[in-house]
Parts: sequence; structure tokens; C-alpha cells
Amino acid sequence: MKPFALNYARPAAELEFATPYAYDPGLQLNVLLDGRIAARDHALLRELGTTTSTAGSKTHFDD
Amino acid sequence: MTVLILTSEEDVTADMVVVHLNAAGVPVVRLDPADLTGSVALSGEFVHGAFRGHLSSAGRLVSLDSLRSVWVRRPGAAAARAPEPSAWLTEEASQALYGMVRGSEARWMNHPDAARRARHKPWQLRLAQRSGLPVPATLITTFPQAARDFAERYPDLVVKPVSGAHPQDPPRAVPTTRVPPGADFAAVAYGPTLLQRRIAKRADIRLTAVGDRLLAARKATCADGDPEVVDVRFTPSTAPWCPADVPPRLAESVRTYLREAELAYGAFDFAEDADGTWWFLECNQSGQFGFVEVDTGQPIARTIAQWLAGAPSRQGARPADRCGSAVP
Repeated sequence: MKPFALNYARPAAELEFATPYAYDPGLQLNVLLDGRIAARDHALLRELGTTTSTAGSKTHFDD
Repeated sequence: MTVLILTSEEDVTADMVVVHLNAAGVPVVRLDPADLTGSVALSGEFVHGAFRGHLSSAGRLVSLDSLRSVWVRRPGAAAARAPEPSAWLTEEASQALYGMVRGSEARWMNHPDAARRARHKPWQLRLAQRSGLPVPATLITTFPQAARDFAERYPDLVVKPVSGAHPQDPPRAVPTTRVPPGADFAAVAYGPTLLQRRIAKRADIRLTAVGDRLLAARKATCADGDPEVVDVRFTPSTAPWCPADVPPRLAESVRTYLREAELAYGAFDFAEDADGTWWFLECNQSGQFGFVEVDTGQPIARTIAQWLAGAPSRQGARPADRCGSAVP
């Protein structure tokens, strides 16, 4: 009784990982350990993939 | 006048926009509805024919009549992190929050009603057709025989989820996948199945629309890539996204789509074929954009910030007016 599309399902990639930044409620921004704004570090964002089109797949399907 | 951003704390993509709003001196209140009854609180009073409402988050207090815009990015379910969460409390908190914010004159990116409708892929495909966008031949069916007939007419097919959602129990991904020749379509009877003619693509296109501004990026298909892997999200690739010009006629169709959908923001996915035609695949009303900006340097976050910083809509404005361009 498995729907046809699920014949092509694969295990979800593990997206849970520790990010090197934390949310600062005062700034309303995520901040790196050295105090820099994470969003300004594009090389880091590229490396982490936290802005990619699969980043929100677990809870959102508007990727 | 304040910009209200509804999103999760870990949404670093939203940070990219907050940085620009801060630089422009635009007040921002960012909160996650999941934190309602915790670090987020609300109050609204309907007295003597008037309404006064307030939200507070992490020490910030904002009056609802001082909102210029609302950006619905990646909000959690209302009150999901309450000490004793429940479906009932989530519904109560959601109705209270969104019901009161809907009563403000703020402009929405995107309005919840438009967002909910725009998530339906069959509706997207029909609107794309009506807007003049090329749409690959598609079948959504629970009839196995219809699937067999479609496969005879279009032997090279892909299958993808109708909703775009991925099963969670256990967590699995359902990427767009090529259907092998001779596939048994009997299981189509067990769930609506979306089959689509495969576009032999030479590139993926991500077109990010912010108000009237269209920013397109192109990622060339890897020449020696696996032909069975058709979903760019699941394809390992080192090729970068590069800025691309939007063909004028296609731009006109995209703007028609956005206007009809009453969307202020949309992330369109196209497949570019060997003739250079951009085939519409879907429009994600809250699609990610950070990865494109990081690769291309296109000012998507700044453009969103400019849109959000625009003046609120006048009282009684129609939905289409709420979604128009208002870049200052």
C-alpha cells in the first residue's frame, strides 16, 4: 500500500549540526564566538549550507 | 514605523535582511510565534470602536498600529515551546497573533492567505499556464491506468511529491526522480502521484522576485553528471550560481503570476533546455535566497529590506495593492 512516489524516497540527510554562532536577542542576529555577525560571513554561510534550498526542509517545504 | 519579522532564531538567512534594516535605521522586532507565552507576549483591546494591540519580545514592545510591514519567513507553530504545549494552545495562540496582526495596516511578505494558496503545486502549475509560462506536461493522478497512458505519451518522466513535503516518520527525502522505463504504476492508486515530462536541462534557474524586482541566477548542469539525478537540491556540485538576465517576455509572465497570486515574494524554479527555454517547475512563496546571494553577489537581502522598509498600505487597500512595489 506504499504510494508510488515513496518508491523513490531516500533517507533524509542529517541537517542537525552545531553551528558556530548563537542567537543574540539584543541584536536580533546570530553572532559568532568572536562577536562578528554570522550573516556577514558569506564564506561561512556557503560552507555550512544554512541558507541553501534544503536548509528548511524538515519543518518547511517552501525551499 | 517598525518591521515585524516572524521567524526562528536560527534563521541566519533572515539575519542577512536584518543587517540591512539596521544599517538603514529601520526599527525591527523579530520574534518566533513558537515562543508565545514565553519570551513573546501579546495584548489587544477592542474598545469604543477602536483597536489597540501590542506585541513584546525579548524586552521590545511594539504597537500594532506602528507596523509598516510583516515578513513571514520561517515562523514556528504558535506556542510550540510553551511550558505545556498542545494543539489547542497552538490554535488559540495562532488565532490571537495572526488575527490581530491581520488587523494592522502593515504590508505583508507574504500575506498568510496568499501564502497558503500559493503552496498548492497543482494551483501553481495552472497559474503558470495562465500567466504564459512554459509548463512541462504534467499528470497528477490516483488512476494507475492514467499513469500508464501518460507514460506511453511521454516515455521520459520524473516523479515528485505533489506537496513538496517530505515524510517524517521516519525522516526521508523524496527528490525529483527519473521514472525508469517499464515502471509498475499500480502503486499510483495508493497516493496522488505527480508525473512530469523530464526536461533535458542544460541549467537550473532560480529566479527570486521581490516586489517588481526580478533577480535570476543560473547553475549549469554538470556535463558528466549522473543523468538519473535531476533534482538540483540533491546533486553534489561545485558549479556556482551565476547572475542571469531574465528574458523580457518571461519577466512579464512572472509579474503576471505574482500579481494573480498576490505575492510580494516568490522564488521560481525553472529548467533551461537546450533551446534556452525556461520551463516552470514551481514557485516557492518563501523560498531560500541566501545561497544565491552568497554565490552571485546579487543584492536580494537588500532588496527585501527595501521592500519591507516601504510605507504601510492605506486602510482598506486591496490585496494586490499590498503586494505592489514600494521600494523607497
